[in-house]
Formats: sequence, structure tokens, C-alpha cells
Amino acid sequence: MIYPLQVVFILVSAVTLGAALMVVTTRNMVRAALWLVLALFGVAILFVLLEAGFFAVAQVIIYIGAIAILMIFAVMLTRRIAQDPGPQLNSTWPIAAVIALLVFGLIVFLVQVWDRAASLPPPLPQGFAPLQELGVALVSADRYLIPFEIASVLLLAALIGAIVVAWERK
Amino acid sequence: MSDPVTFVAKWLEAYLSGLGLASGWIAVIMAALGVIALGSAVLLLDILLVWVERKVVARFQDRLGPNRLGPFGLFQPIADVLKLLLKEDIIPQGADKFVYNLAPILALATVIMLWAVIPISATVAGSEINVGALYIVAVGALGTLSIIMAGWASNNKYALLGAFRMVAQMISYEVPMVIAILIPVILAKSMALTDIVESQTVWYIVLAPIAAIVFLIGAQAELGRAPFDLSEAESEIVAGYHIEYSGMKFGLFYAGELLHALTFGGLFATFFLGGWRGWGAETYPILGIGYFLIKSMFMYWVIMWIKYSFPRVRIDQMLNFCWKFLTPLILTVLSITAILDKLMSGLPYWAYVLGMLLSNLVILYFVYQAVGRYARRERQRVADPEKFRVNFPVKSTASPSHLP
Amino acid sequence: MSEQMILTQTDLAERFPGKVRRDERKGYEGYIVEADALLQVAQTLRDEMGYDYLSSITGVDYLPDGYMESVYHFYRTTGGPALVLKVQTPRDHAVVPSLVSLYPGAEFQEREAWDLLGIRYEGHPDLRRILMWEGFAGHPLRKDWREPYYEEDAKPFKSRWPDGHVYRIEDKNPFHKNVDYPPDFDPDQWVADNDAALYASLAKIQSTLDSSLKTDTVIVNMGPQHPSTHGVFRMVVLLEGETVRALKPVMGYLHRNHEKIGERNTYIMNMPFTDRLDYLSSMSNNFGYALAVEKLMGIKPPERAEYLRVIMAEFTRISNHLFAIGSLLNDLGAYFTPMLYAIEERELILDIFEAVAGSRMMCNYFRFGGVARDLPEGVYEKMRDLAFERLPRRIDELDLYLTNNEIIRARCEGVGVLTPEQAIAFSASGPLLRASGVPYDIRRADPYSIYDRFEFDVAVRYHGDVYDRYLVRLDEIRQSIRILQQALRDLPQGPILAGKPQYQVRVPPGEAYGRVEAPKGELGFYVVSNGKPNPWRYHVRAPSFVNITALETMAKGNKVADVVAILGSIDIVLGELDR
Repeated sequence: MIYPLQVVFILVSAVTLGAALMVVTTRNMVRAALWLVLALFGVAILFVLLEAGFFAVAQVIIYIGAIAILMIFAVMLTRRIAQDPGPQLNSTWPIAAVIALLVFGLIVFLVQVWDRAASLPPPLPQGFAPLQELGVALVSADRYLIPFEIASVLLLAALIGAIVVAWERK
Repeated sequence: MSDPVTFVAKWLEAYLSGLGLASGWIAVIMAALGVIALGSAVLLLDILLVWVERKVVARFQDRLGPNRLGPFGLFQPIADVLKLLLKEDIIPQGADKFVYNLAPILALATVIMLWAVIPISATVAGSEINVGALYIVAVGALGTLSIIMAGWASNNKYALLGAFRMVAQMISYEVPMVIAILIPVILAKSMALTDIVESQTVWYIVLAPIAAIVFLIGAQAELGRAPFDLSEAESEIVAGYHIEYSGMKFGLFYAGELLHALTFGGLFATFFLGGWRGWGAETYPILGIGYFLIKSMFMYWVIMWIKYSFPRVRIDQMLNFCWKFLTPLILTVLSITAILDKLMSGLPYWAYVLGMLLSNLVILYFVYQAVGRYARRERQRVADPEKFRVNFPVKSTASPSHLP
Repeated sequence: MSEQMILTQTDLAERFPGKVRRDERKGYEGYIVEADALLQVAQTLRDEMGYDYLSSITGVDYLPDGYMESVYHFYRTTGGPALVLKVQTPRDHAVVPSLVSLYPGAEFQEREAWDLLGIRYEGHPDLRRILMWEGFAGHPLRKDWREPYYEEDAKPFKSRWPDGHVYRIEDKNPFHKNVDYPPDFDPDQWVADNDAALYASLAKIQSTLDSSLKTDTVIVNMGPQHPSTHGVFRMVVLLEGETVRALKPVMGYLHRNHEKIGERNTYIMNMPFTDRLDYLSSMSNNFGYALAVEKLMGIKPPERAEYLRVIMAEFTRISNHLFAIGSLLNDLGAYFTPMLYAIEERELILDIFEAVAGSRMMCNYFRFGGVARDLPEGVYEKMRDLAFERLPRRIDELDLYLTNNEIIRARCEGVGVLTPEQAIAFSASGPLLRASGVPYDIRRADPYSIYDRFEFDVAVRYHGDVYDRYLVRLDEIRQSIRILQQALRDLPQGPILAGKPQYQVRVPPGEAYGRVEAPKGELGFYVVSNGKPNPWRYHVRAPSFVNITALETMAKGNKVADVVAILGSIDIVLGELDR
């Protein structure tokens, strides 16, 4: 029995993986960035399939709308570098391949032995609003308020740091 | 027969299940049919918009506009499309062909994607996702991407400059626009556009006029329309990112721009003008479609009105305006709205509305004073007549810097 | 000529004995200066005698006498007539010291004289061809230079009507036989190198820039095909991000050698030809040329003709300024709306031109000693309606909607500033000069025709930015309406032409410089006659051409968008710039 959503899932996953592969194999840097956008978009659709609309939208806003666009922007500003891709592999690639394979094997193994991976999660209670829960959790003092604030301060520091770095001294 | 869309959908669903299909497949087929129906309707509307835009602009500019083809020149868009289809399709030398061809498609597609979450009537909405407000921002980001792609792939300096400008502009103006959207979200206590519309027994433009204005300005920037049309600035960088496009590829950008404007008119109507709400729209949902289109068209007209009245601002002025004025202003409004919303939650609704309106008016008054003072000071700094006034005759001994 | 003037002029000859002598030729004025003393004399003129404004530089090729002359017209910005200097130099080795170090406004005019006449200006910082292309052979305004299909020195060509049949010379003389290549020249292999020098000079500036952010600079060609250049004009811009670091104007794409054609034509044939200079204000062009030739002929038009001339010239100024304001707004990005409202009244003015001259833009209305036709019936009433009712209303409307528009003020104020000293040094004229705070209007400073009879103020503003240039234009329209109202009130009856209309005028030998305050600035015609039916030398001092000299100084350090606005505020017309 094939569920229609399974078909969609397989198609989207294939596209995502293929795009991710293109990111590292294509020689043109702008194109690599555009493949990356496609891969990120695929991930967003996977979130949609998991009925996590908020994460899907956040994925698109942050990763595509901000990060990928800034990357493309930076690549376009440095045209000369973009035109000279250089060698694609360096001397340590076999080690990297081995590590990647090991990690992949580990994940497969974990999924196999973890019993909850095979069973369906219990359905959410009626009227459960995940978004609201998330929001309340982030600002409750007994839950994630302190990590949230620490992250905010860190980002603010980064923001100020960026301004200081780019400041043109007269 | 007050709700034909739901009627047709119900009938189709019954027909499909009669064929013995599994409920999962029926859902997929229904979703696909819905996408096709909504997309086609929007594209048909787009063709009409060509005529609307040309005619309205002509009237703004003391002209007649298209009036030869059909009644009131109504068939003009068809001739326009035919002309665009027959034009030579040019791909510039050194262009990245794939990206170059993909960009216009993406430009139009992202605009159509926006319609997925807009509730058109009480019963018709593409998708009732609970993060509709954020979805709009996300799709806007994809729109930016199409412009970068066009600018980069064209292998043209003007196109690249246009793309740079567009990115700077869109990334900047998304910030106040998103915050402006958050204010209706706070008022409606939901991010779903359907909920936002349903909770507007009093239009949010009354409760949050500042947010409405900021959203309109942000929309104007997001659309790249004057006074923020820097990315295609005709007189500076010729046509910006779409300078190299010809024929129907240009047509896609053009259609995308027009539809984008109408879509933002629709979004404004959804957020601040009560969407499909109107007299009898809840009992007769078909009326809601009419109300929604009228409101969207009105806002589209306002956007055109602004575009064809104002000159363009400069890039530094535009960014200053966004970061030093709009963003702090809307952040202030957001915090005040959030606090007031908490404080006044116990009051009757009319008092709640009045409180919100008054708080907005007070902020508006102070902002107006502050801006006026700032402008006067700037003006004095820029133009100090005494500093420049000279007595004649002047001894002309100045030797310009570029000559030895 | 005032007494004081005569005094200073005698001073000049006595002050430089042996170096400066009076020009004694009949019909000529001014002084002849030895080449080696030119800089010294010019310095004295500028710093001690107040001749701070170098209006025109041109050359004349006196082929029969075997020498060339470089002619300078100096003025005082406080008013008064010209002081003319001439430097004579042998034809085969024409070298004259450059005045660019004293008068930066000489830069383009000297380049033009080098290009067209082959006078080498020693000490010029960038002596390249300016109107012709780099590979051009020879200097076309020299009298012994002959073009392909050359027939005769002067029109009308007798060969065109042998036995009453008209034929085209091109039919007799096919293309290939006219092309005169230098020896060992292969046209197929040849590549124009005119841009190499240009890009090299920009690359030099590029290498001197230092920026802490290490941003890339990029060279952008704005033009020749660009919507904001008002024609076929090219600006090569060195950009750092959006900021202009250097700018080089490149012109001549519309060059047709107006002056050479003008020297072939008879005097009256040039009248319609001047229409094509600044095609938006042909009446003013007619005016300047008519003044120059009338000065040579020593005639004056009758009263009614003088009034008609002034009326037409002021209507032209209004229509030109409406167009200039409209296109400035267009350059600022107001998508055609202000433009279309601004030129609505221009249409009515053109209706009047059509009624009196038969043509809306190429009017060809002036004649030596008068004008071509009298007013047809009903036109006087139309003009009154315009001058008293419609135009004042429209100007107030433009003022209301544009002057205090926040975006216009933000875009224009403090942009492209030209200080009064710079404006004078660059020989800027018209609204460009007056917006910089120099109240110099030829109608007041050196009145011609009957302008001394009218009450009007010289429009002047003090900041020298784009905004003030816009305001000056608005003020000038208001002043023009004032003049029009007075002229229409006083318009007398009477003849419109001194003497009989004639196809061939007799012009005694001599030189004359006729200049008018054209809408775009000082429009001068330098005409030299040798008594023949066509002018020996016919030079146009085009305001657009000279005003553009200041462009780089104004544009540097501004954004790309500002360059467009600055160019729009200079108000150039390419028909005049490229000639």
C-alpha cells in the first residue's frame, strides 16, 4: 500500500539530496549557491509534510531569505573568485569520505536499534496549538527564558561587532 | 447557490469517492485541482491588470490610454501579449542560460504562491495554514531570489547594479513590514490569515493606522514601485535587473510586477480592511469575493497613485529611511500595542478600539513633530544661504580639482 | 562703449608694448596678442581688469593670408561689452598656449578648436579630439580640407542643375572612389583606439583610490544609449559601489559639422539651419544668428519686429524651461507625470509658433533686419490669453506641487554644488551660472535688441545645487511672463522688416560676435565675412557644450542617481552639444 504522501516524500527527498550533491560538485559558485537554495527548500517541504508549518516557513525565511541571499550577494561581489573555481578536492578527501560514511552508518544503526523510530508517535491532543506552546515556552522563566535571552545577547553582540568591523574610519 | 465554490468542490469530492478512490488520493487530486483553479483565475485577472494599469496611469498623466482595441481598449492586453510572444527571444552573450531562463518564471510563480493563503471569501481560501503571515514573508524572500538570479545571469552591469539595489532594499524593508504584520497578528491573536479576517469586526486600519501606513510603505518597497523603484530605475540603470530580457520573458516580469501589486493590495485589504468582510458576506460567501476584489483593487489603485506621483529616492536615503525611521517607529508601535492589548483585555470592545486608536494618534503626533524638527535641522545644515552668499564681482581664481 | 572701457583697452596695448597691438583690420575689433604673451595678458585681464569670464574660444583659418587665428572673447560678470583677443599662428605649425590653467572653462572649447581646426593648445591637460572620432584624418574646418563628394566651396552648387536637370553627385561619384586611406592602411584590421586612452586615464584614477573595505570599483558606460542622457551622449563613470569616483563625458555621436556646412551655405540659408542646434528653442537660435549678421551689416530691425522677436524669444524660454523642469523630474524618477503636465502649456506656445512661422519646432522665423511674417489674425489674442491667464496659473500649479515636495528636496538640495567661483571659472552660463549666485544675464549685463526697455529681475539663487537650478528656471519663467506682458501691452504697429525681403544679403567684410541669453545659457555666433555671399567663418558657442565642462566637478563623490539629476539640471540638448 502506497500512501500519496509517501510518493511526495520520496520525490522531495530525492530532489533535496540531488541538490545537496550538486552544491558540492558544481564548479560555478553562484550555481552552487542556487542549488543550496533548492536543497534548503526541499527541507522546508519536508517540514510541511511533518505538519510543522512554522518550521517550514522559518526555514525559508532564515535560510533562503537571509543566509542564501547573502551568500549569493557575497559571491557576486567577488566576481574574480567566482570565475576561478580552483581544484574541487584537496588531499584529505579520503579521510573526509571515511568519516562521512562512518557517521552515516552510525545514524542508520541508531535508527535501527531505537525502538521509537519504528513506531508511530501518539496523536496530538485535540486543540493543541504547537505554536502557542513554543511561544510560551520561550518566555517562561521556568523553561527556556534564560537560554533565549543568552542567545539574544549573543546575536546583539554579533550585530554590533559587524557594524564595528565595517565602520569606515575617517 | 450562495456559495458556488464550495458546492462545486463538494460535488467533485463526492464524484471522486464514488469512483472508489482512497481518501488520501482524493485529497491530493482536490488540492491539485484547487491550485490549478486558483492559479488560472489569478493569471486571468493578471491579463486584465495590464489594461487597468495602462488606463489608470494614462488618466493620472493627463492622457487617454489604450482606446483603440475593443470597447475602452479592453482587448489591448491581448494585443500586448501577442506582440510579446512574437518578439525575438534574446539571450545575451556570457549569460548563464539556465538561471537566466528560470528567473522570470520564478518571479511570476512566487507572486502566485502568495495567493495560497489569502482568504478570498468566508469559505474560499487556498490553505488555512496557521502561519499565514509568516508564509507571506517567506515567499517574498523567494521573490528576491528571482531578481538576484535575473541580475546575475544577465551578464550586464546595469542588471547587477539593479540586483544589488533590490537585495539591499528588500532585505531592509522586510523588517518593518514583518513587524507591521505582527500588529494585526497581536490584535487577532492568530497568524492565520483566515482568523485575522474573521476577527475584524472593526477594521484593523482603525485600531492600527500606523501599522497600516508602514505596511503600505514596505509593500511599495517590496514591489519596487516608485518612490522605491531603484532596482529598475529607468533613468539611472535603464531597466535594472530585467534590462536584457525580451519578449515573453520580459512579459513574465511585467505580469509578475502587476500581479504583485494587486496581491499586496489584497494583503493590505486582508490585514487592515477586513478582507472579504462586508454586508451579507457571511451568509452569502459569493459577495465576499466581490468585496475582497473591490478592496484589493482600491489598494492597487492607491499603490499606482503613489507610484505615478512621486520621484524616486536615492539608495542611501531609502536605507536611512528604513533603518533610522520606519524600523524604530514600528518597533515602538509594536511594543505599545502589545502592552495595551494586555492592559485593556478586560475592557469592552469599543473601549479597546478607542484606546488603540488614541494611542496610535498620540504616537503619530509625536512622530510628526520629531520628523518636522529633524527635517528643518537637516535643511538648515544643507542650505545655509549665508555660507554661500558672495559679493560681486568675484575673483575667479578657483582651479578645479581635476586639472593641474 | 563706456569711457572707462576705452581707457582700459588703451592700457592693454601700452602695457605690453611689442606683444599686444590693436586689430587694425577693417571691421575687426580687439587686440592681436603674440602667442608667448597670451598667458600673461590673460592673467592681467582676469586678475586686474575684471575680465573673469571667458565666453568663447574658436579659431579662424585665413587661408589666403597664410595664417590661423585663435579668437577669445572675454567678459566681465559685472556686465559690459566684450574684450576680444586674437593670437595669430602659422597654418603648418599652429601652436597656441592653452588657457585651461587660468580659465578651466576653456578645456572643451580648446579641444574643439584642436579637433576641427588643428590648432594645438600647448599645456592643455587632455588634448584629445572631442567631436570627431580618433581615427579621423585631418581637421575639417581648415579651408583646404575637402570632404568626400566635394563639389564647390560655396552653395548654391552650380553643378546641380546642368541643362535644368537635377542630379545627385553621389550618382556620378561612387562611394569607393571617395575614400582616401593613408598608405599601408588596412580598414579591415583597424580597431578604433579612441577608448583605450579614455579607459587608461580612468584606470589611473582607479589605482589611486584607497578604501579600508577593499571594495571593487567598476567602470560603467552610461550611454551612448541611455534614457537619462537626453540623446546620444555618453558618460564613462568609475563607480565604487554606487559612488562616482570619476566621470568622463564622451560626445560627438550627433556631430554633423554644423560649422562647415554653415560656411558652405549662404547667410540666409543658415537661418533655418540654426533651428537644428537647440531644437527645443529654435527662436532663440535665430535671434543670436540674426544679431551677429545684423551687426556685420549694420542694420536695425523696425520697432514691431523688435517686439515680435522679444515675444518669441521669451515664449521660447518658457517652453524650454517647462521642458527642462519636466525632464529633470523624469530624471529624478517621477515617471512622466510631472513632465506631461509641464509640457501641456508648451503645446499652446508651439501652436503660436506654428501660426506665425508655419512650423512648431523648426521655426526659421527671423530674418536679417526683421522677422519673416507678421502675426496672423487671432494670434495676438491667444498670446495675451497665455501670458496673462494660463501660464501664470500653470507656473503656480507646478510650484505648488513640486517645489516643496519632500522627495524632490531630499534628492536635489545640496547635490551637484557649483560654487560661484567654480561656475565662473568653468564659463558656465544661463541657469547653471545664476543658480550659483552670479546674477549674470546677458539681457541685463550687455543688453541687446530692446531688452533695456523692460522691467524684469535677473533670477538668481545662491546654493548652486540642483534644487536651485530648478528654482531659477521657475523664477525665470515668471520673469519671462513679466516681459511678455509688457511687450504684448506695448506691441506697436508698423513694418516687420527693414528694407525689402531678399534672398541674398550683402555683408561687408569683418567679424561680429552676436550673443543672446538663450534659455540654456549664453548662445554666441561668431561670424567672419570676406564680402562674399557666404560666411568665411561661422562658429557657434553653444551653451550646452560649454556648460558640460563643469559636469565632472559636480558629479564627483555623488551617487549614480545624482549624476543623472545633475545632468538633467544642466539641461543639455545634443543637437547643440554635438553640432
